[in-house]
Amino acid sequence: MNKYILTKRQVVNELSTFYSFLLGFLIALMIGSIILLIQDKNPFDTFSLMFKLSIGSVNSLSSSLNKATPLILAGLGIAIINTVKLWNIGAEGQIFMGAIAVNLIYINFQLTNSTSFIFVLLVSAFIGGAFCILIPAITKVLFGVNEIITTLLTNYIVIGLTIYLVNGPWKDPGSLNFPAAAYVGKEVYLPTIFGKLSYGFLICILFTVFAHYLKNSSVFGYEMRIAGGSEMTAIYAGINAKQKAFFAMLIGGGFAGLAGGVELLSQTHRVSTGISQGFGYTAIIVAAITGMRPIGIFLVGSLFGALSIGGSVIQTIGVSTYIADIIQASTLFGALVIQFFFNYKLKRADDG
Amino acid sequence: MNNKFLETRNVTKTFGKLKALDDVNFNLYQGKIHGLLGENGAGKSSLMNILSGIYQPDKGSIYLDGEKQKILNPDFASKLGIGMVHQEFRLVESFSIKDNLTLSKSNIYKNDFLKSFKKYSEIFALNVNENEIISNLSVGEKQKIEIMKLIFNDSRIMLLDEPTAVLTPQETSQLKNSLVTLAQEDMKTMVLITHKLKEIKEFTEIVSVMKNGKMVAQDLPTKDVTDNQLIELMMGTVKTSTVNKDNEVGKIKLNVENINYTDSVNNIKKLEDINFQVKAGEILGLAGVSGNGQVELANIISGIERIYEGKIIIDNTDVSSKGVRSRKKLNLSYIPENRLGVGLAPGVSVIDNSIVKDYFHTKLGPHLSRNKTSNYLESLIKQFSIKAPNPKAEISTLSGGNMQKLLMGRELVGDPDVIIASQPTRGLDVNAVDAIHNLLIDQRNKGSAIFLISEDLDELFKLSHRLLVIFEGKIVKSFNTVDADINDVGLAMAGVNE
Repeated sequence: MNKYILTKRQVVNELSTFYSFLLGFLIALMIGSIILLIQDKNPFDTFSLMFKLSIGSVNSLSSSLNKATPLILAGLGIAIINTVKLWNIGAEGQIFMGAIAVNLIYINFQLTNSTSFIFVLLVSAFIGGAFCILIPAITKVLFGVNEIITTLLTNYIVIGLTIYLVNGPWKDPGSLNFPAAAYVGKEVYLPTIFGKLSYGFLICILFTVFAHYLKNSSVFGYEMRIAGGSEMTAIYAGINAKQKAFFAMLIGGGFAGLAGGVELLSQTHRVSTGISQGFGYTAIIVAAITGMRPIGIFLVGSLFGALSIGGSVIQTIGVSTYIADIIQASTLFGALVIQFFFNYKLKRADDG
Repeated sequence: MNNKFLETRNVTKTFGKLKALDDVNFNLYQGKIHGLLGENGAGKSSLMNILSGIYQPDKGSIYLDGEKQKILNPDFASKLGIGMVHQEFRLVESFSIKDNLTLSKSNIYKNDFLKSFKKYSEIFALNVNENEIISNLSVGEKQKIEIMKLIFNDSRIMLLDEPTAVLTPQETSQLKNSLVTLAQEDMKTMVLITHKLKEIKEFTEIVSVMKNGKMVAQDLPTKDVTDNQLIELMMGTVKTSTVNKDNEVGKIKLNVENINYTDSVNNIKKLEDINFQVKAGEILGLAGVSGNGQVELANIISGIERIYEGKIIIDNTDVSSKGVRSRKKLNLSYIPENRLGVGLAPGVSVIDNSIVKDYFHTKLGPHLSRNKTSNYLESLIKQFSIKAPNPKAEISTLSGGNMQKLLMGRELVGDPDVIIASQPTRGLDVNAVDAIHNLLIDQRNKGSAIFLISEDLDELFKLSHRLLVIFEGKIVKSFNTVDADINDVGLAMAGVNE
């Protein structure tokens, strides 16, 4: 009797994640094409239009990169937390919390120097995100409560809090009954670099470099890797595994909070339920596709930003925006399947 | 003796290249308690797993009541009336006692459960309600439920794998009474797997001994054999090679004073009044069967276990209340018994694993640059001839021997003052064992004080100057390896004090 067994490959190609992303993206384009064909649309025309409208001009390119900014920042946060092999499903809530923190500081304090005020607001966004993951971090470290559940649940709490704030205490009387807080003043808007491209993207580049350093080259990152590999080895090496997990979660939450702050100061300019359009969830896809690599998150996040912009403009030719979502999700599926075959090989085994 | 109730003939089982069972004949007689004695890896568990249907023999056959049987799976075994109590309990923790006892479809006391539960509770001196949830029970009580489960499933043959390992002495003598009652009143046939001679003597009528996958003695009447005979059968002839031990021995480097330790989870005393010193250039061996407190002792000396009584003094510095890091700074190295999981982190790269000991020293930090860490690994690979072609590959892609060399090398770099080496050669092939032994001897000659924990007597006699024997958490004997008799050491390891 012959059967097949899966064996882990001894050596995995270093670029395997990149290849699986490319192949996954191709698979996703094929799936997208099939859906377009069913709807009697020409896939080639649709995709080239998406391409043109998302990166074809300075304006569209900067829109795409602005869109990518929260995705990348939240994705980096997820990747940092995953260094200790923990999952952050709560980036969505942390984004909202970052924006709430910004507004809270903005309406209670005023600094005359707008540059330093923006800086203070961005720091509050980071702290807001970290605060949002504080309870999941404490329960994880003290009682071992599954962080996937607790971070997911905090999303609902924070979104509920947002709805309360924008319908209640923060409701802007001038918003014509639309549930939203008042706009922040123009003096704290993040300026643009060129075209529509916000300085938020520059922050995004800086934090990508920072996350890359933290994960791969710092002592803290090394300790996180060991703690993530085996708690016993960490204890043996004199590393406080629980402490590393705790701080990794706070930092990761802070990244997502910063995403919310940047989004508020550069795009929406006010707190509403529209602060995030599922960025915190898409960021999980981005982080997972890249195998939690910061540079990869930057690149794939940029691509996904462009896809969103492209997806939103092809409505004009009668194609649903959701085609972009389908491509994003299928890319993850495709990439994960391909990555599996990079990591394992199917071997025929004799009985026994 | 009366007729054979169960018999295995010429049972052979191989795993890859390893012959776990080699032509094994084994007999069981109805209503008797049998002892099965042997070192770790002698094949006792493999034999029991074949009887309970978990493994299939490659060759040989099993007869029950004179009829040839093929025991295809555990379900099949339980239909034949063969049941096993494993060392790790197989109870549903969140279910009640009653649910656990009546879970199996072969359960025979469905209708008169309460009556039988009462009867066996009395035999086992168990004083809990049948609706109690398993997770609320003590380890000893769980053990009783495990054995009771076999009775409720109508097992006529009960295989008990080290049942006393988790019990206090009182519970052990209580268990003995219960088992004797079961054998006499219910005609249950039992097999007790153990390496404690005292229990063989007290519990069993008939004893069989295994060694290296072979049955070396069968159906010995327990009352007629001496401890010495059993030890000789169990240990066989140990080839006692030795190395030159005339090196210079210096001043005391490691001083362990009055260590007492109680496991806080099940409140069992694991270490009692441990005292010893190791000098520079000396190898002190700790002999003992696994599970007699060795892991706990090593963890206390290395600083991993922090809640204990007593003193640990390294190089005249009292580190009793200090953690792992400060002991490392006094140049203590610990090679743990659990290679992958403690010494090395699974799922993490070779290069990350290679710097676990030294990463926080300034020469590698504060930024762990690729270059510095690569050079560090490179020098380890060269110095200790490790085969690790891809530094970024996961550590588990290395062979066992290379993993151990990487671990040893990492811990030996920088000539540690004190080395705790726990089962350093377990599971390695001959060449790797030699390489590891040479590393330890080199280090000894350089003046390290080495505390070698092992259950391999050959290794202990070969390497160590002096030898301590640990049994149930106590140092029961000490020997000078030069004039020690290996059988005396074996007897002490099995808990016999003359």
